[in-house]
Amino acid sequence: MNIRTQIMVAAIAVIALAVLIYMIHGNMLKLKYALTWFLLVAGVLVFGCFPSLTSVLAGFLGIETPVNMLFFAGFCFSLIIIFSLTVVVSRLSVSQKKLTQEIGLLKKELEEVKKERHEETSK
Amino acid sequence: MKKLIIIPAYNESASIVKTVEEIKKQAPEFDYIVINDCSTDDTGKLCRIHEIPVIDLPMNLGIGGAVQTGYRYARKKGYDMAVQVDGDGQHDPFFLRQMARELEKEGADLLIGSRFLEKKGFQSSVLRRVGIRYFSWLIRLVTGKKITDPTSGLRIAGKRAIALFAVHYPEDYPEPESVTAVLRRGWKVKEIPVIMRERSGGVSSISAKQSVYYMVKVTMAILMECIRKEEKDEY
Repeated sequence: MNIRTQIMVAAIAVIALAVLIYMIHGNMLKLKYALTWFLLVAGVLVFGCFPSLTSVLAGFLGIETPVNMLFFAGFCFSLIIIFSLTVVVSRLSVSQKKLTQEIGLLKKELEEVKKERHEETSK
Repeated sequence: MKKLIIIPAYNESASIVKTVEEIKKQAPEFDYIVINDCSTDDTGKLCRIHEIPVIDLPMNLGIGGAVQTGYRYARKKGYDMAVQVDGDGQHDPFFLRQMARELEKEGADLLIGSRFLEKKGFQSSVLRRVGIRYFSWLIRLVTGKKITDPTSGLRIAGKRAIALFAVHYPEDYPEPESVTAVLRRGWKVKEIPVIMRERSGGVSSISAKQSVYYMVKVTMAILMECIRKEEKDEY
C-alpha cells in the first residue's frame, strides 16, 4: 500500500465513522446494532494506518499473502454481522406476532364492551 | 363445559358464511370465533353483516399465528375445549360433537380427526399421502406414539393443550410440530376416524413449489421439538 491508498482508506473510514455517529445522533440507527459496524471501521482504520500490521498478522496466522487474510477477515466479519441480523429479525418477528395477536384480542374485547354498554343504555 | 371453534380465515369470503351456518346447525353447543388474518377480500365485512364473532388481525400472521390467536382467546375466556375448523369447508362440523365427547371420555389432551383410520372420504393426493406417512413415521420415531394423520387440521384440544398452544405454537405448517410438542410432554393424544371433503373455496396453504420447504421445515421442527427447552412462559 502506498501513501495515496492509505489516505484514501483512512478517509473512507473517517467518513463512515461520521455517518455512523450522525445516524445514531439522529436516532436513525440504534447504538446497539451499530457497535459491530464501529468495530469494523476501527479495524479498517488501524490496518489502513499501519499496513505493516497485515503482513505481521498474516505471517503469524500462516497465510502467505496478507491481502488474502484481509479478504478472509472481511468475509468472517460480514458473516457475524449478517448472523446477528438474523437473530434480531427472529426476535422482531416473535414480538410482532405477539403484538398483532394482542391488538386483535383487545379490539374484540373493546367491541364487546361497547356492545354491552350500548345494550345497557338502550334498556 | 365451554367449547370453542376457532375458524382461521384468510380470503375465505366464498365459504366463510356457509362454514359458520353449518357449524350452527351441526354443533350448536359450541361457541365459535373467526380469526380474520388480515384478509384482502371482505371476509371481515361478511362476518360483521352476519353477526359472526370475529377477531381482526391488523397484520397477516399466517395460519399458525392466526390459530394461536384463537387459542389465546380460548385461554383468556376460560374455555375447556378448543377445536380448529378451517374456513374452506374441508372440515365437516358433523364430527365435532363426537370429538368433544371422545376427548372428555378419554381424558385426552388432544384429539385428532384422522382421514386414514378408516380411509373414507377425501384422501388427498398420492404424493401428499406419502408425505403424511413419512411424518407419521418420524413422529413415531421420536415419541414412540403412532399418529395416523399428523397433518390433520381438525383437532380438538383440552384445557392443558389450549394453554400450551397459547404460548407455544409454530408459525407455519403447525400441525405435525404441535402434535409432537404435546406428545413430548407425555400428554395423551387420541385419534378418531373422520371424513374430510375437498375444499370448497380458497387454495391450500401448501403449493407444489412450497412442498420441499414444507418437508424440510417440518422435519427440522419435529427434531428440534425434541431438544427444545420448556418455554418459561406460564401455561
